Amino acid sequence: MGRLLLIAARNLRQNRRRTALLSAAVVAVTMLLVLLGSLGNGIQATLLEAGTAMITGHVNVGGFFKITSGMGSPVVVDAARTLADVKELAPEASRIVQRRRGFGKVVSESDTIQCALTGIDATNDEALRGILRIREGSLDNLDADGHSILLFEKQAERLNVSVGDDVTLSSQVVRGQTNAIQVRVGAIARDMGLLSIMSSYVSLDVIRDLYQLDPDTTGVILVYLDDPEQAGDVKARLREGLLARNHRLMEDEPDAFYHKFQQVAGEDWTGMKLDVTTWEDELANIQWTMKTFDTISSLLIGVLLVIVVIGVMNTMWITVRDRTREIGTLRAIGMGRFRVLVMFLLETVILSVLSALAGVLLGAGIAELLNSLRIPVSQGFQIFLMSDTLRLVVSPRSLLLAVVVVPLLTTFGALIPASRAARLRPVTAMQHAG
Amino acid sequence: MGDVVVLENVSKEYPLGKLVVPALKDVSLSIGAGEFVSIAGPSGSGKTTLLNLVGCVDTPTSGVVRVDGLDIGRLSERELTRLRLEKLGFIFQSFNLIAVLDTFQNVEFPLLLQGKLSHRERRDVVVELLERVGLGKHARHRPNELSGGQRQRVAIARALVTRPRIVLADEPTANLDTGTGASIVDLMKSINETQGTTFIFSTHDARVMKHADRVVRLEDGRVVSNGDDPSAHAAGTGAELAHREEPAPYLAGE
Repeated sequence: MGRLLLIAARNLRQNRRRTALLSAAVVAVTMLLVLLGSLGNGIQATLLEAGTAMITGHVNVGGFFKITSGMGSPVVVDAARTLADVKELAPEASRIVQRRRGFGKVVSESDTIQCALTGIDATNDEALRGILRIREGSLDNLDADGHSILLFEKQAERLNVSVGDDVTLSSQVVRGQTNAIQVRVGAIARDMGLLSIMSSYVSLDVIRDLYQLDPDTTGVILVYLDDPEQAGDVKARLREGLLARNHRLMEDEPDAFYHKFQQVAGEDWTGMKLDVTTWEDELANIQWTMKTFDTISSLLIGVLLVIVVIGVMNTMWITVRDRTREIGTLRAIGMGRFRVLVMFLLETVILSVLSALAGVLLGAGIAELLNSLRIPVSQGFQIFLMSDTLRLVVSPRSLLLAVVVVPLLTTFGALIPASRAARLRPVTAMQHAG
Repeated sequence: MGDVVVLENVSKEYPLGKLVVPALKDVSLSIGAGEFVSIAGPSGSGKTTLLNLVGCVDTPTSGVVRVDGLDIGRLSERELTRLRLEKLGFIFQSFNLIAVLDTFQNVEFPLLLQGKLSHRERRDVVVELLERVGLGKHARHRPNELSGGQRQRVAIARALVTRPRIVLADEPTANLDTGTGASIVDLMKSINETQGTTFIFSTHDARVMKHADRVVRLEDGRVVSNGDDPSAHAAGTGAELAHREEPAPYLAGE
């Protein structure tokens, strides 16, 4: 094997031009694979970080309360008991916070917007504090006077308000009645792409007052875990445990709570039913951005890989043709077919492994460089990237994948010409005129 | 001494489009162990086809070819490969060395394919053989750094390194000048005499033929004489030269 490796390496060196061109192609594709993978990882990481701070916990215990069978509110009654049960059933939780859920209009003197209104405990909601980038005012304002709202830049711009201005919240409550309440703009945060388009935050009391809720109610209990991968297990345990503790549970539907209003309204039950979801359930609707990105980048990479594989195959055909007499000689002096196959494949393996490694290093380096430059992205892209700067996350898994997949595919491309070389009859190969 | 090569009524035909071209016609021939046999004949007479059959790189259309007692028509591809590796050595007109390997590595290659000897044993065998063919100081030279004669000596060393029973040489002096060609034949003859290796070589060259124990003469795929007195060809006249399509470099300087 050592001598075959030597022959392969020296043949690559001897055909420098061919080797350089093919290596450049493999390096470029691998680098692109790493960069697109890193961009995808960046979006996924942002989605996970921002989504699990702004919209959902890793596991959520929410639900609906129905006064009549046709009307449900996203409210958890008997909140203290439910919270105690959740704490007992999920002892590995790193944090548990509560939020209240609402939906309504925000009205200023110049305009009106509609958005989800989330009541937060601004002091203790560390996840949210960590992710929001306050441009004006402070999150503490939401606790200080109890009747404040946090708006995002575009919302504030449209409403033409700044911190300290008053706006009116208006929402439809039970039996078609509409309630309104006046709140003050306590903070304005930087936009967070898709996640901030139709969402704003208010003090917990605002939602209670707007919907005239009992003090022992909440909207959702957010459970945060050190390892988000455990969310599915914790969800299953919570469902089982809450049922055992005489809570009524909705059917397990992996979907966001705001998609369940219609379903709940159509069901023939009244009273309280809890709904346990994971962050993946709640963000299912937003994950389409990831899926779209993955699809586009997979297509692009697929096309590039096909081009490279065809290039490798073509080069190997040329190599086999150029070295047909050598194959004949080797077969004549006693080299078996398998060794001929290995000898030719080794050339592709050496070239593709080294080029893929170079591509991975280059791709990872460029990704780190782009990250450090904090390149701003246009507003259109901010919606998809959920960040105002380009963010690339290089994961060892995607690097390993690139190093394995690219050589595997290129070697596969070389297999057909190499097999043909191995199948050549010695006498035919020796008589080759090339 | 027993026969190491036996051909019984061997014919070989090649398809050429819709035509079938006969290369060998009903050839019967025996070559004993330790013989130094020349296959002579004009271009297209079937010399190379005969060597290919004896070298187990081709199989006959009809008839039987026995090499070291084995009927090659009954052997599998794997068995033929093993037979070539263990029993046969090849010397080619164009040397056919592996361009990216140096002299030592080229000669060592068949031993690596055999996988029988240790690194040290291989080194000893190759070094001794390179000294024998006069290339002891060229072990690290690549083929493109050697003269034609030196390359053919490397090819001879490669053919001999596994101590084969039979060495087949197809026009071994055709690409060499007169002096070099003579030294190559001398080397082959010397190995034949000292080691008892059977040599079967094809040639146009009467000067080469005169070294042979026996000359088997082919014409139009048939054996027209078997066991000619080599000295009869030494003059390099008559039908032998009349059939030449190109001058043999070995004779060019005569």
